[in-house]
Amino acid sequence: MRWLGLVLLGPALWAVVFSLVYGLHGTLCATASGPEDLGRAARLALVGAWLLGIAAFLPVFALIPERSGQAANLPRIGLWIGLVATLFTLFPVTVTTSC
Amino acid sequence: MSDTSLTPRTGTIAPNPPRRALALHRELQSVWANDRGLWGQMTAVSHTTLGLRFMATAIIFFAIGGILSMLIRAQLASHQGAFLDTELYNQIFTMHGSIMMFLFAIPMLEGLAIWLLPKMLGTRDMAFPRLTALGYWCYLFGGLIMLTALLFGVAPRDGWFMYTPLSSAAYSPGINADVWLLGVTFVEISAIAAAVEITVTILRQRAPGMKLTQMPLFAWYMLGTSAMMLVGFPPLIAGSVLLEIERAFDWPFFDPARGGDPLLWQHLFWLFGHPEVYIIFLPAAGVMSMMIPVLCRTTILGYGAIVAAILGLVFLSFGLWVHHMFTVGIPHMALAFFSAASVLVAVPTAVQVFAWIGTMWKGSPQLHLPMYHILGFFLTFVMGGLTGVMLAIVPFNWQAHDTAFVTAHLHYVLIGGFVFPMMAAATYWMPLITGRRRVKGLGEAAFWVILIGFHGTFFIMHLTGLMGMPRRIDVYPDNPEWVWLNLTSSIFSFVLTIGFAMFVLDLILQATLGKRESRNPWRAPTFDWAMPIPSPNYNFASLPTARHLDRDADEVILPLARGEGILPGAPNGRRELLVTRVGDAQPDHVGVLPGNTALPLALSASIGVFVLLMLASLYALAGIALVPVAVLIWVWVRGMAPGDNLASVAVTPGLRLPVHHHARASLGQSGLVAFLVANGTLFASLLFGLAFVSVVTPGPEAPISTFTPRTTAIALGLVTLAVGLASACVAWSGRHGAAMLALLLNLGALVVLVWMAATQLDDPTRHARDALRAVMAGYVGLHLLVAAGMAAFALDQFRRGEITVDVTGAWPALRLWQRYTSVTTLVTIGVLTAQAVMS
Amino acid sequence: MRGGVLIAPVALIGCSGPLSTLQPGGATATEIAWLWWVMLAGAVALTMMMVVLIAMAFGAPRDTGARVWTHGMGLAFSLVVLSATLGAGLWVGERILPRDDGAVEVRARAFQWGWRFTHTDSDGNPVETDGLLHIPAGQPVDVLITSEDVIHSFWVPRLAGKLDAIPGRTNRARISADAPGTYAGLCAEFCGLGHARMRFDVQAHDTWPPALPDESEAP
Ligand code: HEM
Ligand SMILES: [Cu+2]
Ligand SMILES: [Cu+2]
Repeated sequence: MRWLGLVLLGPALWAVVFSLVYGLHGTLCATASGPEDLGRAARLALVGAWLLGIAAFLPVFALIPERSGQAANLPRIGLWIGLVATLFTLFPVTVTTSC
Repeated sequence: MSDTSLTPRTGTIAPNPPRRALALHRELQSVWANDRGLWGQMTAVSHTTLGLRFMATAIIFFAIGGILSMLIRAQLASHQGAFLDTELYNQIFTMHGSIMMFLFAIPMLEGLAIWLLPKMLGTRDMAFPRLTALGYWCYLFGGLIMLTALLFGVAPRDGWFMYTPLSSAAYSPGINADVWLLGVTFVEISAIAAAVEITVTILRQRAPGMKLTQMPLFAWYMLGTSAMMLVGFPPLIAGSVLLEIERAFDWPFFDPARGGDPLLWQHLFWLFGHPEVYIIFLPAAGVMSMMIPVLCRTTILGYGAIVAAILGLVFLSFGLWVHHMFTVGIPHMALAFFSAASVLVAVPTAVQVFAWIGTMWKGSPQLHLPMYHILGFFLTFVMGGLTGVMLAIVPFNWQAHDTAFVTAHLHYVLIGGFVFPMMAAATYWMPLITGRRRVKGLGEAAFWVILIGFHGTFFIMHLTGLMGMPRRIDVYPDNPEWVWLNLTSSIFSFVLTIGFAMFVLDLILQATLGKRESRNPWRAPTFDWAMPIPSPNYNFASLPTARHLDRDADEVILPLARGEGILPGAPNGRRELLVTRVGDAQPDHVGVLPGNTALPLALSASIGVFVLLMLASLYALAGIALVPVAVLIWVWVRGMAPGDNLASVAVTPGLRLPVHHHARASLGQSGLVAFLVANGTLFASLLFGLAFVSVVTPGPEAPISTFTPRTTAIALGLVTLAVGLASACVAWSGRHGAAMLALLLNLGALVVLVWMAATQLDDPTRHARDALRAVMAGYVGLHLLVAAGMAAFALDQFRRGEITVDVTGAWPALRLWQRYTSVTTLVTIGVLTAQAVMS
Repeated sequence: MRGGVLIAPVALIGCSGPLSTLQPGGATATEIAWLWWVMLAGAVALTMMMVVLIAMAFGAPRDTGARVWTHGMGLAFSLVVLSATLGAGLWVGERILPRDDGAVEVRARAFQWGWRFTHTDSDGNPVETDGLLHIPAGQPVDVLITSEDVIHSFWVPRLAGKLDAIPGRTNRARISADAPGTYAGLCAEFCGLGHARMRFDVQAHDTWPPALPDESEAP
């Protein structure tokens, strides 16, 4: 049971970070007046939230030891899935037009 | 509790002495068989019976949906539109989509899982057989309601995603939209029921010693699927309930004039709708992972990688829903998140596809009939996946969205990724269903006709879409350039239909005329073949253990049939199976399952009455119709009470296990946890709705609230206190007095809540925010009511002496529910208070 | 003109038509059409690759390592291809997005079942037209889109992608026509009985604001 919980940890962390950044972005755009860009402060907030989200993975990596065998190592692989997903799905905070 | 240790502790379970197989069979049959005749079909709860019936019914709905698609194609064959008027045409394509998704694909995969999982995991039935039956009847009745509406010309007509405001009362008068909302929600009950029991069955009923990482891949896929169903369906249920309330009582959740938001519906719908397509795909991928190695005479390549891919898919697929909303005017950055997630989800898919191809390289593929359909899957699904990636690319999506290109794409993935695998699975498992061998030739011909018909129909629809033809139109008089494209599609669609008919004919011929097949015809190493064919209701005369894993099923069949496994026969004259622990699958206790009963039929019929009364807009009567529902649920739960005093059972010579009444974590407990996951998602969907209309929706601000702060604060304080105390007292003691107290506290909180809703809450029809607040209050009230009911039930059990020192009865369930109720109540009060304070 | 490069081969294989996205008439639609052709080429190559891989699987068993398939092909190869595609998509997306650059603005109101458009004449007065949208040719134009009842979608396939018309919201779409002329448009989001016939035209003019005959009257 605990093992299953650990397996879910990495992707769940991605889900949390993704929702938070998406929610933050939605809130910022909803309160913004004009179209297009939000300005520097808002972008910094978004990038910051993304980086924090990535950083959140590091302590968890320390928590979950590497194991041999792909199946037994699933919690660790789950973390990688979560981390790659966080990097990949949220990198647009750095490059795209915000609103 | 280390689940990953590799020592097979079950090796120590001593085998039972062999007995005569026929005697065992008779003993089990007398306990597990369905009752005789038609009535026996009504009362059946067996997973074999119901799984097959689910699938058969789904095939019938597929045929109906297919006929509707023929009408669509006939209409589109020429630009003037052959014969349907627009109203009817709209009903037909809406019903085609809705039937295929809700009445074919989902029930088909549920039926497959219900039928196959217990066999693969080495157990005798699903965790909650009556729930299986309830799910079936709800599905059937919901489906019949929708079909009846079609016959009377009042079927839903707003497209299968029912966008508001088109589907709201102002633009869709009549009951058409209600048929969809109520019918689909009714069917959804069976999806939630199936998800709960699939989860519990996989986690708690594996053969002893079969660790999670030793499960057949299909079980992993179904675990992922059921988890997705638990989290994916509630947003749609929430959305449907809200829209139905809007239509019935004018609460403006989606009305932009009163602070509602049509986009809220789209978010809720696609929050379900995208995961839905993976819910459909995962079981299909699961059967691929089982069949490919066997048909290539090898083992699967990259088991761990596939499990990781499933894990990734399950989560990622919840981060894609906005790709169905790329054109609603969402900022580019948000689009980019979802575009990135949508292409990323192709990675785990690619991992699986390459693992399958690698498996084929590793082994030597045999061109049996299932392999044909597997090849059809590869070709079609790969193409559908590639157009899927294209559609995930935002600028291209802006052009292709809502055109025939999307119609082509979705049929490539649905037919390629679901129908072909299901046809492969059908031809593969038919011997286990019928005990017969196939008649040669027809199956192969059917495959070729289907393949040609399919690609002929849908391939050029990509081009039709790029040439600008939108979906959901019935005529195109000004566009002669689309005629040849559509005509070609239409002609081939009839080829396709003939192919499907041939396929079904082949199955029928096999079932009726086929010669007897020998056991384990594919020489598979899995438990599903380690039984007589056709499979008996009880599956295994004695249950297998991890020792029997990965051995040719042939070597396992006989020992199991002679009772050398665990829990041989049915010596106590009741349906027994082994319940194991989640992680390491060590034997935990013996579960006693209910026998044949008409209760599921009665319960779903009474829910059906409620649905019909809602459809007829007889809301007061509908409220009254909930009374029999509640009574039947009470009776249902009473049926689980310990009936006899046999407290433990010898499963093997050296091992006695307690019966589930004496176990700490029964199947019911696990089921309740799974249900609360779904329920929690529903609650979260409501919170999301409230946040959405409060923050994102541009419409008019909510008018000032009219409540009196002091009174409201006192009332909320009272409710908080009451639920807090109720939680504390059920946690603190398992005695009669605590149950009484919990009953009173919950009722008290309910009374205060109702009073407050009546006097303090703003009129829910004036603004979406107020409507959502009222709904949340209703949600809390409903939970308080159920908590009170459960406390009353526990009291009754005390009275009957059914709760004793070592029999917990309904107590753990009450405790769990009370805790959940308290948490959601507090969250609701917290959110509403914070909103009031901030504004 | 870049569009011309596309039109020539396209017309040959019969992909042209008044509503064809493959016969773009402006910068935005041209960029998207290029994206499509590139993705199509990639998709064809990948499909062929899969077919060959599967065909090669038939025959004697082979000693193949798992990692080549799951990590090499499944992870690395697909991630590279997908990242490139995503990058191209975002890049094109950024280029065709409406910006605060003083582009001409016109308005589109959708209703069941028709379109009412507004542009500004030389005196700065709004001019309303039914079913015919006037825009200047050769420059980007922003269309402010909304709806009076249900959701519709504004789509001129030869000029740009579609954008929904949603009651209670105003969406901004950027379209552009390279040459003067008439471009066909339609409602792309299902909106009830009249959906199939909810067409309109866009007329691109050399001179802006256009001198229109009397049929358009100022409100
Ligand atoms: C039997 C062969 C089939 C044919 C010939 C067929 C044909 C069609 C056509 C022509 C449309 C588009 C109507 C339009 O929007 O213009 C359509 C829509 C659709 N089809 Fe199928 N289809 C078939 C099977 C399936 C299957 C197996 C599924 C799902 C498992 C499915 C799911 C859908 C859905 C969800 C829609 C969208 C409905 C809507 O727009 O509301 N179809 N089908
Ligand atoms: Cu999707
Ligand atoms: Cu329309």
